[in-house]
Amino acid sequence: MAVPAARADRVVVAGRGRRAGLARWLGPDYRLGLLFVSPIVASVLALVAYPFCYAVYLSMTHKLVGMPPIFVGLENYVRLAEDGFFHRAVYNSFLFTFSSVFFKLLLGMAMALVLMTRIRWRAFWTGVLLIPWVAPTVVSALNFLWIYDGSLGVLNYLLVRVLGILPQGVGWLSEPGTAMASVIAVNVWRGFPFFGISFLAGMKAIPAELYEAAAVDGATTVQRFRHVTLPGLKNIVIIVVLLSTIWTFNDFGIVYILTKGGPGGATMVMPVLTYETAFGAQRLGEAIAVALYLLPALALTIVVLARYMRKGRKR
Amino acid sequence: MRGAATGRLQLGLSYAFLVTLLVIVLFPFYWMLITSFKTEEQMRSLVSMFWPSPFVLENYAQLLRKTEFVSWYGNSVVVAVSSTFLATAIGTIGAYALARLRFLGRGFMASATLITYLVPPAILFIPLYAQIKNMGLANSLAGLIAAYPSFTVPFVTWLLMGYFESIPEELEEAAMIDGATRFGAFYRVVLPLAAPGVLAAALYAFTQAWNEFLYALVFITDGRLRTLPVGLASFITGDVYGWGYLMSGAVLTTVPVIAAYIYLQRYMVEGLTAGSVKG
Repeated sequence: MAVPAARADRVVVAGRGRRAGLARWLGPDYRLGLLFVSPIVASVLALVAYPFCYAVYLSMTHKLVGMPPIFVGLENYVRLAEDGFFHRAVYNSFLFTFSSVFFKLLLGMAMALVLMTRIRWRAFWTGVLLIPWVAPTVVSALNFLWIYDGSLGVLNYLLVRVLGILPQGVGWLSEPGTAMASVIAVNVWRGFPFFGISFLAGMKAIPAELYEAAAVDGATTVQRFRHVTLPGLKNIVIIVVLLSTIWTFNDFGIVYILTKGGPGGATMVMPVLTYETAFGAQRLGEAIAVALYLLPALALTIVVLARYMRKGRKR
Repeated sequence: MRGAATGRLQLGLSYAFLVTLLVIVLFPFYWMLITSFKTEEQMRSLVSMFWPSPFVLENYAQLLRKTEFVSWYGNSVVVAVSSTFLATAIGTIGAYALARLRFLGRGFMASATLITYLVPPAILFIPLYAQIKNMGLANSLAGLIAAYPSFTVPFVTWLLMGYFESIPEELEEAAMIDGATRFGAFYRVVLPLAAPGVLAAALYAFTQAWNEFLYALVFITDGRLRTLPVGLASFITGDVYGWGYLMSGAVLTTVPVIAAYIYLQRYMVEGLTAGSVKG
């Protein structure tokens, strides 16, 4: 046994001598490292980096489906800047995103705080409350489409016939006054568990001694939340809020299934407008300009978020 | 005395709040389930709202016989399973390299992967569609399998990087001192320890691919080649929705995801918090 081992050692040493130069430049594990990373590099380049660059180019062209693109510079962007319907979509996107994230933050925080109390079956509650997050978005959107239904939907049935709050049924998704709020409610329903579960993980990581010290100093529940829980959760709150802002801003499925942007553009958000411009109106260049319009803001959000996420990992 | 009383009040309120949340969270699924067993007549007449009467399987029979639901199911299985294998394989070795191995460009690659994970599909779907079309993969399941790594791979990689970083490096060093190669240490020591993380990552990749809507809606034009989410959504393009068979389709689409989730809940909850927000 000893002899082959010794020989293997010598081979390794000799090999190292030849590769020492490369290893100094590329790092000691460069061969396995580059081998293992190359599929990711290939997929990121082919499926994200290249399409992204192509998108930037296409947004500066007139491109009809099945026709070669014609370069027009910033014309699409300039035209959108003057387009009232596009303005409305931008406004709606911000309204949809910020209201949704706000309510998800509130509900998620409440969920986490409640799950931190001395309740029984914590794993059960946590598990059940996470279900909307795992269930297919399209299924949830269809469920709510049916619940909101103006004539046969159960929401109107409950509010009119059971509780008697409303004199008659409301077309939740077909009336401009209620459509946006109804769509936001579905996004909140689906997204708040992610906030809750993340905050719960963050709260569990706050050392118990901090709470004990605060209790010794006579801090009330509110003061403990304000001075111990919130500072301890700061990074997670920032990460989850930014992550959800990106996701919500770009949420296509819920709005598309519930309203397709209607009635009369009342819930038209940018991703749905992108889709409609591309595959309804068949104007690809303009569609991508819609999608990329807020790219500087998106890029900034992504960079800040990526920083926080990496920092969160290093601790 | 007063402390105990407020404690009990707090606990009572906590339970009340949890039960309310539970009802809000579960009601849409309950509603979907009972609708799938109702007759159209019952739905129209608004009687016995919260329980099917009569209880019928007609919606399921109609769904399976008269629509292309069975083909869609097969398509979804093929697409989700293939992209899960692809993403898990690529993501696992990649995450190990990015978490552990020392080589030029590692930090850059780790950041690039994370940023890729954050780039939303809503700005990629048109150019990706153009690209898939150029490759002759438009309107095929292969096109979806080729495109889904754009979101599954960065996600799996990011999630598993966190997992690998949490495994003590000394274990590999010990294995290598005992004569294992770097690859051997990864394969025999680290990988078995990371198995729960890999499982959680694979499940999330599966869920994401199973639930994906936008790419499948855009890339597939042939009715038979639709995946489940697009197929279900196609039921609402007409004026008459047929809520009964729509909801029975929704039930069958939800079952695999929720079953996997209930069975492996612990890993998935852990994986989610480790992958997105650790610390």
